[in-house]
Amino acid sequence: MSIDTQILRVALRRAALATRLAEDQLNKADARLGDGDTGETMRRLFGALNNEMPEYSDDIGGFFAELAKICARSTGSSLGTLVTVSMMVMAKQTKGQTVIEWTDLSPLLLLVRDQMMARGKANLGDKTVIDMLDGVATALVNCDNAADAAARSRQACTTTLDLFRDRENRIGRARMFAKKTIGQDDPGMLALSCLIDALSGDTNIQASSHA
Amino acid sequence: MDKIINTADNYVNEMLDGLLAWDKRLARDDRAVFLRRSSRPNKVGIVSGGGSGHFPLFVGYTAPGLIDACAVGDVFAGPSVDSCMRAIKSADQGQGILLLYGNYGGDKMNFDLASEMLEMDGIRCKTLLGTDDIASAGPQEADKRRGVAGLVLLYKIAGALADEGADLDHVHAVTAAAADHCRTIGVALSSCTLPGRDAPSFDLAAGEIEMGMGIHGEPGIWRDKLKSADALADEMVDRLLADPVAQPTNRVALMLNTLGATPVEELLIMYRRISVLLEQRGITIAVPMIGPFTSSMDMGGVSLTLMYLDDAREAALRAPSDCRYWNLGS
Repeated sequence: MSIDTQILRVALRRAALATRLAEDQLNKADARLGDGDTGETMRRLFGALNNEMPEYSDDIGGFFAELAKICARSTGSSLGTLVTVSMMVMAKQTKGQTVIEWTDLSPLLLLVRDQMMARGKANLGDKTVIDMLDGVATALVNCDNAADAAARSRQACTTTLDLFRDRENRIGRARMFAKKTIGQDDPGMLALSCLIDALSGDTNIQASSHA
Repeated sequence: MDKIINTADNYVNEMLDGLLAWDKRLARDDRAVFLRRSSRPNKVGIVSGGGSGHFPLFVGYTAPGLIDACAVGDVFAGPSVDSCMRAIKSADQGQGILLLYGNYGGDKMNFDLASEMLEMDGIRCKTLLGTDDIASAGPQEADKRRGVAGLVLLYKIAGALADEGADLDHVHAVTAAAADHCRTIGVALSSCTLPGRDAPSFDLAAGEIEMGMGIHGEPGIWRDKLKSADALADEMVDRLLADPVAQPTNRVALMLNTLGATPVEELLIMYRRISVLLEQRGITIAVPMIGPFTSSMDMGGVSLTLMYLDDAREAALRAPSDCRYWNLGS
């Protein structure tokens, strides 16, 4: 079974629930390094995407384009804008399609990663959400089914968080706390981890070891 | 700290409702606030934006002689791409737009995206970032510095030039030179609390201060016990004057600003010392400004901004304007 807009609609609902449940924990993680609003940002953004979800259509590119517009008016945070960028890339890349094959997911996410790096002026290794996306996209290479994608991406989240935890943040507000960021999970990475937990079937975010 | 709000989620929208009910010259397109009537036809538009929580920065300077439109973000969050586009469109008179805002990642991404989209509609934008906070990076990395209270002086200079009919390149060039000669440092005495939060944004023990802290609580240079007004004034002036600029002059604009909770009377106690210090260094305070210009919610503390003046900058700062938050000393 491929990815179609019906699957994406369910995914959005799960993402909205996951970000609502994870709000306090993400805020607390962010408060150690920044102004403590990552949870609120994600809850509001995915809440808006869920509440304003476009009418059903099988046009995946059009669906992502509508989501990009909702993002563009709903968020101004750096992390939120990176979500906007991701929706714009997906819209462009899937224009005219009614399905995304699982094997196409990795190359699509790598394109999203590259555009996020360009927009955010970030590099791999800076300890941002982009490193997490890179880990997941790389883990999904040649993945051809949903169950395998779920397992691989969740494992990639754990591996990437472990890999970066003891490194310094090198960009954004957290870079100013460089030494303080050692031993701390990046809030953007945690946010993506929460989303992947939800999308891959685990909505019990409160019990998640990641958050 | 208790707050007079209805709900945290409605904080910004209800604040804007109140602002527009008070100032009938303003109109609003969702999260973009703009002047109903331009101060001059066919002028370059001056557009800014940023997170709420810093009033009167940014939206409070939407006024004749300063900025034409402002994109308003949530508290301490950048404005959305959509609000940036709406602000730019509302200020466009076909002569181009100067995007003038602080050097923050989210703001940059959103204004860049917005201006790229609108370029396809024929709207030409040039960007200038406020980078006046000397505590946020060293002189070798001046392009990484954050924009804080110095932005207000840049608004006035850009606004005055645009009102004179200068073209976009000239407005940008003169304002950029002013930005290169503008420096700010702040000191925080207490934290701030965001709407809907139970705890302050950062911890600062009673009796402790942090020199150089940013307006969102970004880390500063040192944290220690509270010092006297004179001692703080000495250090802040020394640090500002020690920071290199291309062409220092002996005339400055000075902005002494409360970050929120610190009363203006305490600013006056500091100004008493600062004015003497600058006089001793042979520097004339040609444009003195004291009061609330850039806040950080209810944070206790002050910021001190110096801009070295040439004739063009001084004339632009003295040019006519009509803004409740632009107050020149004599």
